[in-house]
Amino acid sequence: MGRLLDLVKSSYSEKRRIVAPLVGFPGVKIAQSSIKLAQQNHEEHFKVVSSLVDKFKPDIQFVLMDLSVEANALGLNTLFPPDDSATVMKKHGKFGTDELALLEKIKFDSDSRLLSYVKTVELMKRRFPAGVKVGAYVTGPYTLAGLIIGAEEAGLMAARHPEKLEEICVFTNDCIMRYAELLLSAGADAVCVLEPSGVMLGPSHFEKFSVANVKDIVKLCHTADSDCIYHVCGNSTHLIEKMVESGVDGLSLDSKDGGIYLSEIAKNIQKNIVLIGNISPSRTIVYGSPKEVKEEVKALLESMDSFPNYVLSTGCDLPLETPVDNISAFMETGRNYTISV
Amino acid sequence: MSVLENLKENVIAGNESKVLEYTQKALDEGIDLEKILNDGFIPGMDVVGSKFQANEIYVPEMLISAKAMKAGMKILEPLLTEAGIEPIGKVVIGTVKGDLHDIGKNLVAMMLEGGGFEVIDAGVDITAQKFMDLVKENKPDILGLSALLTTTMVEIKNVIDAFKEEGLRDDVKIIVGGAPVSEDYAKDIGADGYSPDAASAVNLAKKLLGK
Repeated sequence: MGRLLDLVKSSYSEKRRIVAPLVGFPGVKIAQSSIKLAQQNHEEHFKVVSSLVDKFKPDIQFVLMDLSVEANALGLNTLFPPDDSATVMKKHGKFGTDELALLEKIKFDSDSRLLSYVKTVELMKRRFPAGVKVGAYVTGPYTLAGLIIGAEEAGLMAARHPEKLEEICVFTNDCIMRYAELLLSAGADAVCVLEPSGVMLGPSHFEKFSVANVKDIVKLCHTADSDCIYHVCGNSTHLIEKMVESGVDGLSLDSKDGGIYLSEIAKNIQKNIVLIGNISPSRTIVYGSPKEVKEEVKALLESMDSFPNYVLSTGCDLPLETPVDNISAFMETGRNYTISV
Repeated sequence: MSVLENLKENVIAGNESKVLEYTQKALDEGIDLEKILNDGFIPGMDVVGSKFQANEIYVPEMLISAKAMKAGMKILEPLLTEAGIEPIGKVVIGTVKGDLHDIGKNLVAMMLEGGGFEVIDAGVDITAQKFMDLVKENKPDILGLSALLTTTMVEIKNVIDAFKEEGLRDDVKIIVGGAPVSEDYAKDIGADGYSPDAASAVNLAKKLLGK
């Protein structure tokens, strides 16, 4: 199918944009399912993402965003609410090195829920219409470390005992690599590394705990002729240079509300890095009218006209409450838009 | 350096054992409690807040400073209460229903304590009803609502709407924050204030109370 940058460049030469919102949960409503069911069962999961492809015809469709997959496979206590994404419970108490040794013994990649995500990707690859790229998510090494030892403890460890945290991040990355390998073998065209906790770090810590490890995931993706995308929530402006150094193919960035001014970032970034974003996932598209969504999307597209390396998307995952008509308005505006330069 | 200058510098450096040492030293030297607070802890955390806002430090460095300050305040707090020294305001704070993330909320709580506020930490995954119960029970000046996820930030609006429906909205100022939350969103949903980070939350809380 070709790599993302080629696709983006080819679309730009035809004066149109690739359109790929980060949308998963609204599919639960369309498919009359529940988040819990879809995150547990690959057939149901496929039904949900497939309903989104049928309805919106995006250029890339991701699986449901779920930051608990790897942590859950490592045996961490996880909650499964019916209409919210699965969530890892907070770690209480200090994390000892003996606990890491125990985690290393777990057959992480035999976990049934993790494998159900792999099977979902397999189904997506096999049954989606030709031309729809299949996207998968993995949790970033620092975020997964935070889920294991507690986000606050990870922050404190970064400042007080960075060498210990580095050791944990090497372990988490090893798990992530094993999961990514399965997803790529199942046919994922792109693997997006979700590193939401990374936004709390300064550039040097981010480089040490995230980028240094993500470089290996990038290499793995490239070996499989797939793309690797970095996603950090919130205002990640101070980390963009480091994210680029990882060698990723694309950066999925949060909205203007989150402090990201995409056209400004585009001016300072190499043209071989695809920028993906960044309609706010929590304002107009959730609470506004289709007309307002169209206006917002058009304004974003216009601001990006002079940059070939751009994919129209949302700044983060759309919540379950997002009206279907607003997602349609987003897609329609993206599809009908003609680049004016 | 004086004891209080040392206290301030060690709060900034996040050196917990030294903060404890200099807090005790200040007390042993008979320095006035309010002076220890106002010339040691608060200016230390002010510097931390300013450095954070200027991107000179990030959450890990801010966390160790806040932890060091909190350790020192544990010695000071019972003495302040005993001496009848009132906090500058009372805040109830929590992460909304469906969201188990608390690092941002904890940082805001610690920074507010360092700024002289009494803080009641409701915890995470808090329903609108629980927030209303806590406000009725504790009568805080400010309610702080936090959410980390785009999928849970919609719950912030639900809490504010619930306060309106129950006729409690005018009883408390509501401030909001969290990675996906913005100033415009805060205005749209009828919050009294928005803070992009923990350091600004202290200034916002003081401003809302006219301090």
